[in-house]
Amino acid sequence: MHYLTFVLFALTFTWFMVTASSPRRVIAVTVAGVLVLTLLISPPVAEAQGGLVEAIQAVLNVINGMLKNALSAINTARTAMNALYQNFVWPVQLINQAHAQVTQMINQYRALMASILNMNLSSATLPTPQSLETMMRDHRVNNFNSLTQSFGNTYGAIPSSVDASQADRDMSDMDDALTLDSLKTLKASDNATDLELQAANSIENSATQAAPGSAPFMTASAVASSIRSQALTQKMLAAELRQEAAHIAHQNGFRKRGATFTTQFRTLMMNLLQHN
Amino acid sequence: MKCFRDALKTAKCWIVGHKLRAAVLTLVLLVIAPWPAKAQYVDPCCAIMAAGLASISSALENVIGGGLNHILGVDQSIQQFEQNTVWPQNLINQARALVGGLQGIFNQIQSLTQIRVNSATLPNSQQLETNLLSRNANQIGQTSSNYTALYGQVPTTTDASQQVRDVVDMTDAAAQDAMKRAIEIDALSDLELQAASQINQGIQSAAPGSAPIIEAQADAWLVRANAYTQAATADLMRLRAIDLANSSADIKMGATNTTNLRQQLMNLLQHN
Repeated sequence: MHYLTFVLFALTFTWFMVTASSPRRVIAVTVAGVLVLTLLISPPVAEAQGGLVEAIQAVLNVINGMLKNALSAINTARTAMNALYQNFVWPVQLINQAHAQVTQMINQYRALMASILNMNLSSATLPTPQSLETMMRDHRVNNFNSLTQSFGNTYGAIPSSVDASQADRDMSDMDDALTLDSLKTLKASDNATDLELQAANSIENSATQAAPGSAPFMTASAVASSIRSQALTQKMLAAELRQEAAHIAHQNGFRKRGATFTTQFRTLMMNLLQHN
Repeated sequence: MKCFRDALKTAKCWIVGHKLRAAVLTLVLLVIAPWPAKAQYVDPCCAIMAAGLASISSALENVIGGGLNHILGVDQSIQQFEQNTVWPQNLINQARALVGGLQGIFNQIQSLTQIRVNSATLPNSQQLETNLLSRNANQIGQTSSNYTALYGQVPTTTDASQQVRDVVDMTDAAAQDAMKRAIEIDALSDLELQAASQINQGIQSAAPGSAPIIEAQADAWLVRANAYTQAATADLMRLRAIDLANSSADIKMGATNTTNLRQQLMNLLQHN
């Protein structure tokens, strides 16, 4: 910056000096140049260095006082944090203890509960119901036709139009249909339950090795599984709702037909009495 | 080159012709020309400064450097502990892999819920059944007409007493409400399964720090799912309540009919 100012001043001063037309102007330019030089371009006055020792001492005081204390405090805080993490938040021995507990509970409960759930509950004694019962409880979803067949064998077919009124046939068909719907839904639900148990086992197995940082993944996945489980429960509830609704609709159908029959009977009796 | 030579010649002529000006100009320029500063080794204050800087350097090294080293040691210990014990990368990857594996199971479950279970064989029952199993809330508007086509209408005033008509209508209403609720619940559970899959996919790409956020969302969905289950259970309870009330109504109406019959028989006997 100082060099640039000097160059600018030198050029300007030279120009005025060269173009000055009289000695008086030369003197005027010289005086003006000196004044400008003194007032604007001269280097700043150097400061005195009398306080150097005090300044160095002040810096040393800052280093040995404030900075040392601050670093010491940070060190204390970080050490405390480290101890907090290792001894209180994530103590390794408790993490290992949790792993051991998961493993121990798997050994204690899993096989026992599976054996309880898989106990044979079949109770039918005659061949046809036995076949239906087996079909109903086999957790398979690829034999719905056989189920329908077994159901028909056990509970009979819908009466023909000669044997029953259309209303009776319709109600009977609806009852059978909703029963079969429920049985099929239950076969699918049983199958889904098996898969859910499989998922639960996988999550629990992983928990035996999980770290505090990986556990949230499993927890979130387990919650997502719970949502699915609820959805399946709802599907079963919906099937039960349909079934129960059909049940009371059927009974109500009897009530309606009873009213119709009563009216017909009353008309018949009145006609009979009138004829007599 | 020639121009330069001419310029020099012109300048020389000017200097010869204007000796005073040239002298003043040279003097001023020499005076104000910036000169490099000289080193000050011999200055006594430099020795003080050197000693001071050495003290500062020593203090920086011992106090600041030592303190920072202690902090670094603690931080390295924390980092090692967090990397190896709290958030070990291999276990986090294993957890992500588990979530991916579970998605396969969940897809199987979802496909199980899509299996068709329709079983009716006659037109009226087929129509009602199709409506009930539609999983489409927009089909609820058709439920009542399909129901009436199969189960009949409420008896007219000439066919039944008002009491019987009320009971029949209430029973039909409860049955239809439950059927409509079943359609709703099926539709809702389909959406829940879809949402659960989305959540599971979110977990697969989550970080350990963001997984709890997804978990919170999943928890909220679980609460919602519980509410839907309760709604369905409530309708089931209403159905059973109406069923029980119907049994009671049958007894009540039976008693009334018996009383009426006895009264009419007594009147008949008195007339005779």
